Amino acid sequence: MLTEVKNQFKISFLSIKYAIMREMLNKVTFTTNVLFMILNNASFIIQWIIFFSLKKNIGGYGLKQVLLLWGLTSGVYGFSRFFFKKAFSLSDTINNGKLDSYLVQPKNVLLSAITTDVEASALGDLLYAYIILFVYGFTIPRFILFTLFVALGGIIVTSISVILSSLSFWFQKSDLIADTGNSLMINFSTYPDGIFKGLVKILLYTLVPVGFVIYLPLKVMLKFKLSLLLLLLLITILFITFAFIVFFKGLKRYSSSNLMIARI
Amino acid sequence: MRKYIFIFKSELMSNLQYVFNTFTGFIGYFIHIFIFLNVWQYIYSDKSQIINGYTMNQMIWYVIVTEILWSVANGRKLCRKISEDVRSGNIAYNINKPYNYIGYSLANHLGSVAIKALIYTVLGILVGLMFLGTIPSITIIEAVIIIITGILATVISTLLITFIGLFSFYVEDSNPFFWVYSKFILVLGTLFPIEYFPKVMQPFLNYSPIYAVSYGPAKLFTSFTWDLFIKLFIAQVIYIIIGYGLCSMLYKKGVKRLNVNGG
Repeated sequence: MLTEVKNQFKISFLSIKYAIMREMLNKVTFTTNVLFMILNNASFIIQWIIFFSLKKNIGGYGLKQVLLLWGLTSGVYGFSRFFFKKAFSLSDTINNGKLDSYLVQPKNVLLSAITTDVEASALGDLLYAYIILFVYGFTIPRFILFTLFVALGGIIVTSISVILSSLSFWFQKSDLIADTGNSLMINFSTYPDGIFKGLVKILLYTLVPVGFVIYLPLKVMLKFKLSLLLLLLLITILFITFAFIVFFKGLKRYSSSNLMIARI
Repeated sequence: MRKYIFIFKSELMSNLQYVFNTFTGFIGYFIHIFIFLNVWQYIYSDKSQIINGYTMNQMIWYVIVTEILWSVANGRKLCRKISEDVRSGNIAYNINKPYNYIGYSLANHLGSVAIKALIYTVLGILVGLMFLGTIPSITIIEAVIIIITGILATVISTLLITFIGLFSFYVEDSNPFFWVYSKFILVLGTLFPIEYFPKVMQPFLNYSPIYAVSYGPAKLFTSFTWDLFIKLFIAQVIYIIIGYGLCSMLYKKGVKRLNVNGG
């Protein structure tokens, strides 16, 4: 069992490594993608400088806390899109019969399908996240916590995308649900939770679980609480388990028309 | 001109098949407005407060209009399409056709966003009414003028994004340039009116595309004046001429660099 898991990780690691090498074939494009993504993320600092010039405290956050929120969000989405790019187009893979090539491999179908490509620009998101951490104030414990939350958040976001995309096994056009769900998550994660009230706040920890991806990790980073950290670890495991269950349940319904594609 | 109208009509008819997608896409727009409503409600301590010349309602209506213009322009898709056409060599199919590529691209894109523009405008106004309960008082003539400036703003956006997409003749992927352009428009033109920026930046913003594609039509909607309309209309005409000129120049130069392997 342990060897199997080890082998699976090795395969996923190699798959990502070769995808990175492929992306780096054209170095100019690769570098422009990364640098411009950093610039793209940095532009939002202007938005917050204006907000904070109007009010000193927004939803319980100051400018530094908002910067950290942006850094964490950028890291989480960078992590998920860099390592698991294909999880965000899984509906297309399922709908167009592109899962065939993964089914014949003696490895986990889901992991093979989602780690087959990387998003070069997401590396810009990841770098931006750490630049912001340095601006916020670098300490070793903070760095470790930040990295842990980037990884946990990235895995939860990927799991959510897998769950929503797996609906394509049952319903047509469910790619729209997956796209809407993913964009909802991003939209809410870049604003302090303190500005939302009542039902919306409940939704942020249930239907649109941004709370577990961004808000709770940020709270732990600002004021460490072991119980919250353990809760986040548990929630991540639950999301991963649920994603695997939904995907493999759906996979039993999968059929294709023998699509011939070349994977280069 | 007739051939471009035909391209516009064909694309419009084809997009009628995907009306459901447009409605689903509106959810994203709705969430944006909802988040901004929460932010501005937090910032304005009471509804009658005026910040930089805007009441809270005017501020929300401003964002509603600019977000409609931004969503309708659908720049990401357009830039990606042009970039992909150049990279894959598909653009070669357009070279021997009896039309101008820039005119084709413009007619095609406007046709593809026409239905979206109609749906977003109607639903956007309904969302504003639902959240705020009131709408800025404008006459029918003023409403028609605002719609015309909105259409011109979309034409300018299309030309500027086409220009960025054509960078692909020189760099393989022009999408990163679009990200920077989009954030420039989004942060400096969509989220805040020009009056929110430091005085030293305002003249620069007034001469930038932001004035023509975003600020102008939205400002007309929140507080209409004929003086503003005349200034905006002149700026929009100038930007259309500049945008078209830049696209044609880049296309003519770029197409000479094109190498396509037959297949």
